Amino acid sequence: MSGRYLLSKVGQAIVTIILLIILNFVLFRMMPGSPERILGRNPNVSAEAIAATRERWGLDKPVFPDQLVSYIIATANGDLGFSFVYRGLPVVDVLADRIWPTVILFGLGEIIAIILGVALGAYTGWKRGGLVDHLGNGASLVLYATPYFLIGMTLLLVFSVWLGWFPTYGMYQVGATYNGYFDQLTDFLSHLALPLATVALGLIGQYSIVMRSSIVETLGEEYITTARAKGILDRNVLRRHAMPNAMLPMATLIAINLGYVVAGAITVEVVFNWPGLGTLTVDALTARDYPVLQGIFVILSVSVVFANLIADLGYQFLDPRVKA
Amino acid sequence: MRRPLRGRVARTLAAFGVATALILPAAATPATGADPLILRTGTTQTVQGLNPWSVVDVVDFEIMTLNYDTLVGFGQDVQPVPGFAESWTRSADGLTWTFKIRPGMKWSDGQPATSEDARWTMQYVLDATKAGRTLGLGYLEPYQTAAGVTAVTAPDPETLVVTTNLDNPLLLQSYIPILPAHIWSKLDPKTASSTFQNPAPIVGTGPYQVVEYKPGQFVRLQRNPNYWGNQGAADQIVITTFKNNDTMIQALKKGELDYARDVPATQFDELKANPGGPIVTTDGVSNTFYELAFNTYNKPIPGGGASTKALQDPKFRDALGYAIDKQAIVTKAFAGHATVGSTQITPFQAGWHAEPNDLRTFSIDTAKAKLDAAGYPLDASNRRLDKEGKQITLRLAWPGAPEEATAAALIVDWFAQLGIKVNAAPQDEAKLGAELLPPEATPPGKANFDMFIWDWVGDPDPTSLLKVLTTKEIGASSDSLWSNARYDELYDKQLAETDSTARHAQVAEMQQIMYDEAPYHILYYPSQLDAYRTDRFGGWRNQPSQNGNPLFGFGPLDYTYLTDAKAVVASPSPSVAVSASPGSSEAAVATTPAPVASAPPDTTVTSSSSTPLLPLGIVALVVIVAVGLVIVRRRREAAEEE
Repeated sequence: MSGRYLLSKVGQAIVTIILLIILNFVLFRMMPGSPERILGRNPNVSAEAIAATRERWGLDKPVFPDQLVSYIIATANGDLGFSFVYRGLPVVDVLADRIWPTVILFGLGEIIAIILGVALGAYTGWKRGGLVDHLGNGASLVLYATPYFLIGMTLLLVFSVWLGWFPTYGMYQVGATYNGYFDQLTDFLSHLALPLATVALGLIGQYSIVMRSSIVETLGEEYITTARAKGILDRNVLRRHAMPNAMLPMATLIAINLGYVVAGAITVEVVFNWPGLGTLTVDALTARDYPVLQGIFVILSVSVVFANLIADLGYQFLDPRVKA
Repeated sequence: MRRPLRGRVARTLAAFGVATALILPAAATPATGADPLILRTGTTQTVQGLNPWSVVDVVDFEIMTLNYDTLVGFGQDVQPVPGFAESWTRSADGLTWTFKIRPGMKWSDGQPATSEDARWTMQYVLDATKAGRTLGLGYLEPYQTAAGVTAVTAPDPETLVVTTNLDNPLLLQSYIPILPAHIWSKLDPKTASSTFQNPAPIVGTGPYQVVEYKPGQFVRLQRNPNYWGNQGAADQIVITTFKNNDTMIQALKKGELDYARDVPATQFDELKANPGGPIVTTDGVSNTFYELAFNTYNKPIPGGGASTKALQDPKFRDALGYAIDKQAIVTKAFAGHATVGSTQITPFQAGWHAEPNDLRTFSIDTAKAKLDAAGYPLDASNRRLDKEGKQITLRLAWPGAPEEATAAALIVDWFAQLGIKVNAAPQDEAKLGAELLPPEATPPGKANFDMFIWDWVGDPDPTSLLKVLTTKEIGASSDSLWSNARYDELYDKQLAETDSTARHAQVAEMQQIMYDEAPYHILYYPSQLDAYRTDRFGGWRNQPSQNGNPLFGFGPLDYTYLTDAKAVVASPSPSVAVSASPGSSEAAVATTPAPVASAPPDTTVTSSSSTPLLPLGIVALVVIVAVGLVIVRRRREAAEEE
C-alpha cells in the first residue's frame, strides 16, 4: 500500500468529519423550539429571566455566521462548550462519564456477538440442510427480528426478578462498601451481565445469517473441492480455506457496526438504566441541549468515519485481490 | 513460543482491568462498624445540577431542601414550622419580621451557622433583583419578591430583621435556601447563580448533603452529623434517575429500591392489590392541573394565529365545555386515579379552591343547542360554521403523554358529534412550546395553534397558578393568550391583600371568571402515585398528613422521621417504644448499635446475588481467556501448515 493512498484516504476521512460537524450544527439549530423555552414553563419565571438565559447560552446571536463561526473555532480547539441542561457543566465532563460504559457494554457485546455469530454461521453453513442448520438459522432469524428491549425485558424478568441472580438496574450499586477490588469487580460484572447478554443476543442474528450465506457461497468454489481432494481434514477445510474467504463480507459488516459501538442502543440502556450515550442523546434531544448533542455527534461522526477508514485500509490485508 | 501467548492474554486482561478501573468509582473502604443504612429512591426526572439556583424539577427541589434549610420549614401539613429560624414575630403593621435564628447551629463542615448566613443569602437575592439580574433560571427569587422584601439586617448572630413593603405571609413559604456565607461570598456574584457547579461535597445545614453526583444518573447524599433536628435512620440517601418506569417498579418489587415516585396507574393497582406485603402505595393529592387550552388571542396575526375567530368567543368555548365528559377521561386515562377538574386551583391548595357556580354537565345536546344559540349553525353537510361562514376545523396538540393522548382521542370524538372536525396529533414539547408563542414574546412567535392539552404545577400558595392567565404574562408564561381586565385587577388586588377573607373572595371570583370565560377547560387533577417498601424503613408519614405522599413534597421533614425497620424488629429493648415518638429517633439509633450491626448489612442485595455471580464472573473471564487462546492457536497452526 503506497503512502499516497494512505494519505488520501486519511485526508478524505478528515474532510468528511469536518463537513459532518458543520452539518450537525446546522441541523440542530433548524429544529423548532428553543432550549430556554422548555425550562421557562414555570409561572414564576419572568420573561426577563428567559431572555437572560437565552443570552447566557449565546442563542440571541444570529446562527449564520456568529454562532457557527464561534462553534467551529471552539471545536477546533477542543472546547465542546457547556451543557444547557446540566447548567454550565462542561460538555466534556457530561460525555466522559457516559462514553466508557457505552464502549464496554457495546464493545464487549459486539465482540461476543461476532465470535459466536461467526462460529454459529460457519457451522450452520457447513452443515446446511441438516437439523443443525434449521435450528441455528431459525434461532438467528428470531433473534435478529426481536427488538433489543424485548430481549432485555425478558432477561430482566427471568434472571433478575424471578431467579434473583442479577441486579435490576445500574452499572454498580451506588454507595456500597467493598472488601477490595475483586468485590467491586464482581458487583460491576453482575450489573453488566444482563445488558451484555441482551446486546450480544441482539447482534448475533445478523452476523450468523450473513456468515452462513457467505459460507454456503464459498463452499461451492472449486478450491474447496481441491482441498478436500488433497485429504485435508473437514474442519481444517472449513477453518483455513472456506472461512478466510467467507469473512470478507463479514469484515464490511463488522466495520460498519463497530462505528455504532459508540452510539449504543437506546433501548437497552433504558431497560437496564445503563448510563450510556444513547439515553444521553435522547435527553439532550428532548431538551434541545445543543452543546451536548453537538459533542455526541462529533464523537459519533469520528468513530464511524474512523471505523470505515480502518475497514477500507484493512481490506488490503484480508483480500489480496484488492490492490491500492 | 509460549511467551507470546502469555503476553497476549496478560495484555487483554490488563486492558479489561484498566477499562473497568476507569469507569468504576474508587472502591469505598469498608466501615469499621455496621454497613451504612442507605435509603434508595427512584424517580423518572433528571437532576439538572447541584447549584440551588438551577432548580427546575421536583427532584431538584427535593435535593435542595435536603442540603439546605429554608428560613422557615414546611410542616406535616405544609404549615410554617421552624427551619433555619427557630421562631419569628411580626410587627403590628405586618411589614417588619424579626426571626430568631437557632443558636449553636453548625454547617456540615463544622463552621458556625448564624443569622449572617441568612442575611447574606437574602441580600444576594436583593442585590440581584435590584441590578435586574436573574438568578439561575429565575425559579427562586420570585419567592422573595412576592413577599415584598426590601431590606434585611442581622443585628446579632441570633437575630434577623426583614423589612417588606407588602403585608402578606408569603415570606413564611419562601423556598430560598440559606447558603453558607463563608463559601458563597467568595464567589463572583454573577457566576455563582449561573455557571458555578456547586460541586460535592456540598456544605449545608440540612439533614443530608450531596457527596456524589453523576449527571443524569444519580445523586448520593450523606447524613449531616451537625444537623439541628431529628436524625433520620438513613445514613445515606441515593436518588436514582430511571429512564423507564417498568424497571423502577421491578426494582421496587425486588427490594433494590425503597421508594418509587410516579408509579404508572396500571401498575399502581397491581401493587395495591397485594395488601399486607412490604409494599405500600400512596394515592396523594396533586398540585397539578391538566387543561384543554384555547388560543384566545384577540388580534390578527399575519401567517399565524388561530384558524377561526370562534375561539375568541367565550360563548363558543363555554358550549364546547358541555361536550367534554371529564369523568370518562378520568376513568379511561387514569383508571380512576385522578380528580375531575374544575378551576385552576388544585386540590392541594384546598383552602383556596372554590367550586364555581353552575357547573357544566356532560350533554352533547346542550352543547349543540348552545352553539346554535351563540350563532354557530350547522351547514348542509352537518359541519359547524363560524360567524365568517367558514367550516370550523380545530387543531389539537399535546406533548405526548399517553393520558393526554387518551383525552385527545375522546375530545376528537365528542367534538365530531357537534359537527366540529378536530385534527389531533402529539408534538414534541419544545416544538409545541415554540408554536404557542405570540408576537409579544422574544423571539416573536406566530401563535399558530387552536387547542392543546398541557399542565401546570403549583406552589402551596395559589398565586403562581392564577398568574398564567393574566394579560401581563402574554409573551411570558401565558399560553392561552387570554386577556380579561377584571381578572387582572383581581390578581393585583389579591397579591397585596392583607385581609384573609377578602383575599379568599377575590381568588374565588377569579376562579368563577376563568370558569365562565373558559380560556382553559380544566380537565383533571392527576393523583400523585408513589409506592414504597416498609421492610427496611419505617416511620413513613404523608405530607399533607391526610392525603399526601411521604417524599418529594415540601421540605425534608419526612426523611428525618424514618426509622430502621430491622432495628426495631431485632431489638426487644424498650428503645422500641422510644423510637415511635419523633423526637427520640436519634436515641433509638444511638442506644441500639449492637442490634443494628447484627442485622443483615445493607448490601444484602449484592451478597445474595453475588453468590452465584462469583463463579459466573470467573466463567466470563475464562471465556475471554479461552477466546484469546483459540485465536492465537489458529494463527500458529496456519503458520505451521502450508
